[in-house]
Amino acid sequence: MNPCYYACYIVYKVIVYDIIFYPPVYQFLIIPGLITAIIIAIFIIWFERKAAAYVQMRYGPWEIAPKIGGATQLLADLTRYAMQEIITPQTVDTLQYLLAPIVMVVLALLPLEAVPLTSVKPYFPIPSGYSLLVAVAFTTLSPLFITMMGWASNNKFSITGSVRESFMITSYELISVLGLLTAAAMTRSYDLVKIVNLQMSGKWLGLINPIALFVVFIAVLMSTSGFPFEIPESESELVAGPFTEYSGLLYGLNMGGAYIRRWVFSILITLVFLGGWAPYRPTPGVITGYLIPSLIVSLKAVVIMGIMSFLRSVYGRYRLDQALGIAWEILIPLALLAFGIGLAEAYFGII
Amino acid sequence: MPAKVSQKKNPKRNPLGKVFAGNIGALAVGLKYFFDPNRITLLYPHEYIKLNKGYRGFIVLIKEKCISCSSCARICPAAAMRMLSVKVYNEKLKKYMIKKYPVINYNRCIFCGLCVDVCPTEALYHVPYHDIVYENMNDMILSLEDFQKEPENIEFKEGIPVKYYFDERRGLVKTPYMEELEKRNEKEEKNQKVEGEGEKGAS
Amino acid sequence: MEAGTASSGSGIHLPGMEIAKASKNRYEVMIGPAHPGSGHMRIFVEVDGDIMVKVDPDIGFVHRTMEKLAEGREWIQNIPLFERIAILDACNITLPYVRAVEKLLGIEAPERARYLRTLLCEINRVASHLYGMGIFGVFLGHSTLYMWAFGDREVFIDLAERLTGARLTHTYPVFGGVRRDIPDDFPEDARKATRYMRKRLNEYAKIFLNNPNIRSRLENVGVLTKNQAAELGLVGPNIRASGIRYDVRLNEPYEAYGDVDFEIPVFEEGDSLARAWARVEEVRQSLNIIDQVVTWLEKHPRENFMHEKFWKTAPKLYKDVYEGKISYSPKYRIKLMPIFASLKVPPGKSFARVEAGRGEIVYYVESNGDIFPYRVRVVSPSFRNVIAFKYVMPGHRLMDLPAIYGSFDYFPPAFDR
Ligand code: SF4
Ligand code: SF4
Repeated sequence: MNPCYYACYIVYKVIVYDIIFYPPVYQFLIIPGLITAIIIAIFIIWFERKAAAYVQMRYGPWEIAPKIGGATQLLADLTRYAMQEIITPQTVDTLQYLLAPIVMVVLALLPLEAVPLTSVKPYFPIPSGYSLLVAVAFTTLSPLFITMMGWASNNKFSITGSVRESFMITSYELISVLGLLTAAAMTRSYDLVKIVNLQMSGKWLGLINPIALFVVFIAVLMSTSGFPFEIPESESELVAGPFTEYSGLLYGLNMGGAYIRRWVFSILITLVFLGGWAPYRPTPGVITGYLIPSLIVSLKAVVIMGIMSFLRSVYGRYRLDQALGIAWEILIPLALLAFGIGLAEAYFGII
Repeated sequence: MPAKVSQKKNPKRNPLGKVFAGNIGALAVGLKYFFDPNRITLLYPHEYIKLNKGYRGFIVLIKEKCISCSSCARICPAAAMRMLSVKVYNEKLKKYMIKKYPVINYNRCIFCGLCVDVCPTEALYHVPYHDIVYENMNDMILSLEDFQKEPENIEFKEGIPVKYYFDERRGLVKTPYMEELEKRNEKEEKNQKVEGEGEKGAS
Repeated sequence: MEAGTASSGSGIHLPGMEIAKASKNRYEVMIGPAHPGSGHMRIFVEVDGDIMVKVDPDIGFVHRTMEKLAEGREWIQNIPLFERIAILDACNITLPYVRAVEKLLGIEAPERARYLRTLLCEINRVASHLYGMGIFGVFLGHSTLYMWAFGDREVFIDLAERLTGARLTHTYPVFGGVRRDIPDDFPEDARKATRYMRKRLNEYAKIFLNNPNIRSRLENVGVLTKNQAAELGLVGPNIRASGIRYDVRLNEPYEAYGDVDFEIPVFEEGDSLARAWARVEEVRQSLNIIDQVVTWLEKHPRENFMHEKFWKTAPKLYKDVYEGKISYSPKYRIKLMPIFASLKVPPGKSFARVEAGRGEIVYYVESNGDIFPYRVRVVSPSFRNVIAFKYVMPGHRLMDLPAIYGSFDYFPPAFDR
């Protein structure tokens, strides 16, 4: 064989299998990770605006690309953010101020490193034994940096916003952890692959235990300031909450950060409650074993995000104490109930 | 019949549960409009409203009718209309005379229409549009000649004229106003013909 | 709180400046004047934790010296000026001025003009309430209500435009009558609009007022008791939501309000929710009035809608204009006599009030027989309502501020005049 050809083949192999489809890289950067997350964020923000416009007697984004309903509007917005000057006010704590949004976004993507998107062993980013636990643990990291942003901004509105954010963190984290771990109780396993495989028969955990799904859904709305709980950034009181001082790309990151976190949670919900890649059975091979299942998971996650976005046009925002009341007085008992139901179902062998 | 007082109370919460009934109602209304949107936005540069005849838009002077009474300038609340002295040749007396005519400053005009209503000879009238662009502020102070012409509306060349009609189910319904469009097309065709002939003649 | 006279010497001490001792745990947040949630006003809020302890509305950011300006303008020129007090309620805001001057002139508008004024007043009231509701919605983060209210307000603005020729600055009532009669197809349009709006109000209730989310924000928030409301001298739907039966249309019927059949909704609770409901119910009643007035106008012949003094002496041309014989001008338009341009009002003092969208508006007009008014005093409803913030807000959470603020339907240009 021609040595040159052989070298090319090796390079191709390395690039495709060891870099692009090397699971940690692939998942962090390509399919559910950064690139997809940005595309999804763009799509979902567009959808959110469009859906709101439909309900609200308007057209929504339109002018920039009338034929496709203004779908490229967000690209234009993004360009604008990217071109804008990043202003660092004199009174801020510069290092934290600049770092916090970046770290927040990176950490927001981290849980994707832990979730397997296929049942084919070589394509697990980490050993899948405790993947659910690890992913849930990672999701709790990034909100801390929102609090930090508010503190570093040294502005009354920012601090009030970040205090509200930290209140919300304490309430929704317990709920989402309880809700997601219900699945572990039901399947007696922390292994996401096993959890998904159990749902292959069509018995999605979300259908068997809808209360758990509902509880997690609300917790995700809380965590990502989705609409009835859009409290930290409430515009009419706090300008933009923790992000008040930010401008340019950093502000764009902040706004995108919430959508990225919502995306990560949606993937987790898909895997745990909605059967992951369910109707499809992955077979070995990069395309059939990795690309297709990850696309199926993404599609389901997008649907969840779409539903969350639609709520914007129906609800206003709760007061902070009411949101906390809902969390502690209604959702946590519900989460415990869901946990009990899950245990009972597991005991009686419904799963 | 004079007014009556009716004592009311905040409607009670639905006994079916604080949470369910209200939420479902709200979501149902939201979904209804999501699938059957009722849009009234005017896509402005692409469409423009063909306003009714009574609309108080820009003002035009018919010089022949003006009797130089200055009522319009005196009533103007924004001091937008001023009298301008012009030398006019009087046929009868066979000499030049100073005559006053109103001119308008659109920087100041608030389109209250008092000048039009007060003019004793109907020498002023409104055109039913108001979206006109001037390049600088000095252009907005019209000269006597400009004040006699109907200002040219640029939108009329490109956008689709629409009219809003009242509707019981949808409030205002936007409908393209075809008559206006046809008129414009005819005009354009004529213009093109004239231009084409002109070119032929030149060649 | 207590003005420290010995202000430790540092800085300039301006008259009226208040020096308050900084206390621990207190935190001062300034809402406004350039803030998405405030209009053109500033609210000093002192919070203790999350609870507001002291709220001080600071008005005056859009003060335009309306009263002084009025002294340098002729009587009729003041009508377009006073519209600018609250531009979205133009007819209601200028009507008392017109009525006060009419009293001085000793004339009264003919019956048809009174009905026409009532018609535009109610159209304005609906539009103004919808505006208020829209702002209220966006304060609570409910963008759908905002867009709906503003979109549906367009229906009524369009009606007003068909009636008067302008969307907002109608300059419709003038001394002795009004400037136009209704166009021929107006009654049908008005009826369609009212039928549409009644249906929409139910949907508003579904998506906003009965939405558990919004309801929990409003119920028992910002409670204004009957006594408090009377003491502070508030006006408009805000006191009717607290159980006080006070409405100029009820206590002192003006224009055609004595002849139409409608109700004044009075609520008992006095919280933000009651204030919101009071507005919704009032819109319903306004729609009823519009229907009745339009029917009346349709039944009765189109005769004079200007005081005879001005109508009878009109030359033939003026009647041609009215009948639409002048091709380039709209039909049913009255011509003002040139005498309006330099009207001299007999000396005297007069006073008039009407119920505007936000409450009672009062004009005191003094003339010394000149072509300018000697003094015009305006007391606008928002000016009387703004004081409520100071007494209602403390004790609530900071997040209640928009809920209370929006429920009072404030309008900064109206209280600054
Ligand atoms: S419309 Fe009003 S402001 Fe404009 S010129 Fe006439 S009187 Fe003056
Ligand atoms: S009121 Fe009419 S007639 Fe008199 S000066 Fe003005 S335009 Fe001329």
